[in-house]
Amino acid sequence: MKYLLSTAACALALAVSPAFADRAAVLDTYADIAEAAYADSLSQAEALRAAVAALVAEPSPETLQAARAAWRAARMPYQQTEVFRFGNAIVDDWEGRVNAWPLDEGLIDYVDAAYGGPTDANELAALNVIANPRPVIAGVEVDATRITPKLIAGTLNEADGIETNVARGYHAIEFLLWGQDLNGTGPGAGARAHTDFVAGEGCTGGHCDRRADYLLAATGLLVADLEEMAANWVEGGAARAAVMADEDAGLVAILTGMGSLSYGEQAGERMRLGLMLNDPEEEHDCFSDNTHMSHYYDGLGIQNVYLGRYIRTDGRVVEGPSLAELVAEADPSLDAEMRAKLDATMAALGAIVTAAEGGFAYDMMLERGNAEGEALIMAGVNGLIDQTRSIERIVTALGLDRIAFEGSDSLDAPGAVFE
Amino acid sequence: MRLALCLCAALAASPAAAGVEEALAGPILPGLAAFAGAAEDLAEAARADCRADALAPDYHAAFDAWMAVGDIRLGPSETGALAIAFWPDDRGFTARTLNSLIAQQDPVADDAAAFAEVSIAARGLFALDMLLFDETLSAYGPDDYACRLVRALTADLAGQAGALEAAWRESFAQSLRTAGAAGNATFLSPDEAVRALYTQILSGLEFTADSRIGRPMGSFARPRPKRAEAWRSGRSLRNVLASVEASAALARALAGRDLPETDAALARVRVAAGRIGDPGFQDLADPAARLKAEILQQEVRGVKAAIEAELGAQLGIAPGFNAQDGD
Repeated sequence: MKYLLSTAACALALAVSPAFADRAAVLDTYADIAEAAYADSLSQAEALRAAVAALVAEPSPETLQAARAAWRAARMPYQQTEVFRFGNAIVDDWEGRVNAWPLDEGLIDYVDAAYGGPTDANELAALNVIANPRPVIAGVEVDATRITPKLIAGTLNEADGIETNVARGYHAIEFLLWGQDLNGTGPGAGARAHTDFVAGEGCTGGHCDRRADYLLAATGLLVADLEEMAANWVEGGAARAAVMADEDAGLVAILTGMGSLSYGEQAGERMRLGLMLNDPEEEHDCFSDNTHMSHYYDGLGIQNVYLGRYIRTDGRVVEGPSLAELVAEADPSLDAEMRAKLDATMAALGAIVTAAEGGFAYDMMLERGNAEGEALIMAGVNGLIDQTRSIERIVTALGLDRIAFEGSDSLDAPGAVFE
Repeated sequence: MRLALCLCAALAASPAAAGVEEALAGPILPGLAAFAGAAEDLAEAARADCRADALAPDYHAAFDAWMAVGDIRLGPSETGALAIAFWPDDRGFTARTLNSLIAQQDPVADDAAAFAEVSIAARGLFALDMLLFDETLSAYGPDDYACRLVRALTADLAGQAGALEAAWRESFAQSLRTAGAAGNATFLSPDEAVRALYTQILSGLEFTADSRIGRPMGSFARPRPKRAEAWRSGRSLRNVLASVEASAALARALAGRDLPETDAALARVRVAAGRIGDPGFQDLADPAARLKAEILQQEVRGVKAAIEAELGAQLGIAPGFNAQDGD
């Protein structure tokens, strides 16, 4: 009864405001931000591909450094697109190709002895395809004499049906550029030498030609994958069309992405779990120690979508009618609450960035008993969880809870958080 | 005293949402107290005799008690449950962390305060499952390091269980009861408290269908029995049943009435469970066994559908976000 009353009040509020026109415009802004952010991700990936080609052509400390810088730059726009996951099936079906994590990196290349060999969960955890042109996968010998995009995409990625067999995407490339971070929770990132890519004499780590082939192929795949997703969001693209097909469902997609990324994915899986495991491999960008930036830009993506405003890589601004305005029409105090919580989260994630850039790297924060690190990370986690509660309130305030989450991949077929 | 006054004022100011008090007084608070008691019994048993065989009955009793409340990942349980029941463990953290503690004879086992800082992979019920039931690890004697580790683990579990129970009883239960009252920053309306509990019921059932049953099933071509929950102790099926019973009990309490469709669906789960051959789900490579697991999974989803139809419709709400919404 009580519920019916509040729904009626809500419907009344909507009836007196020009809600329907607004909703379409809000969805337009959302799709425009997606289009721009995926386009930026693509152009940064192309720059990464060029830097990787330069590294392979002429391995040196400088070209390796340039490739790493290009990788870091490529993460900034991409992480801001993660908010388009969970609500959009077309993104969810594709995402595993570009940002799958965590990975058993021993599948790809040499690892330290402490890494161990095959595990209960993954017989291929130490396959090392770069050193092994004829590996056996699930009982079948595979021809890996040439490392090609097809081999990586078709045979190696998720080999044997194991999700941690991540052979492609940002984190596979990250591993090839940095190597394992063997410093545990102490200072320092992965320290792969440029000589790992030197052809012929001077090669370190063995099989430098195959390692170079792998890096080139994986980077090429990343560019191709981002081309595909960028095309999905332009005028006439499938992802944009899906969002625009139904206004209420489109709004649910926006809010589902914001809530699922905030809570289950970012706060839960990526931040709190790693902290509670005290395991430096549980940081999102564990080879490069770039995790603080990835978390920050993930959070920023959520804020972008709410405020209807995205600053592109080149500084141009994409903006338009926003979800925030829609919420403010229905309930100004709820809009103020949501804005304040997003600000609080960004402040907390910003504090992690500041600390990391000051030398207190994210993996050092994960150390057993490190109270300062725990406080920094948990402030981010708490902010993200807290903002999820306001996102739920928005679902109700916009009258979306009756249809809420029907057809959302995330709730109808939730991949368990640990999968 | 001040607390009690506050509560009365708050209750007077805002009618408690239907079912929330019943859920607290019914399954939740007594369930947490029972778990705390069972965990204390287990710790006491370990102090007397730490060996694996001796501890098995108290271990199972503690796990059973946990299952009655373990899928409620709300308030203090939201983070607290992770250190009590860290599973699934795709990357083998529990084995790796336990083996590392044992190899180093890490003195953290002798320091209760420090042990609370250890990785959650080496704490709680699933670390115990491995220490007490893994063929290699469980072969320790009373003078071995592993014995001290078991004592540390069980004492830590008892401490966690007691703290969790206290946090609910002394604080979070009141947040739920006073949902919508002035000053309650967690639940701004009575509906929010109801929705929060309702979300836990559905996400628990989802987790049971998708993870407790689905993970070991894997694909037809590639079953994954070693991914079963607590397979070493043969508890996998027992946990499935206990989790579904707990979800249904919470649904009944929240509804404040009988839920005949839910009960009928629950009865079908019991029948399907009765046909499972191996309670540890280690026979799933056999197509006939796999089929039975698939039927059980469908029946668990049937309970969820029944609760959505009976309780969700009554409450008129959709569930909120849950911690499994990531990937």
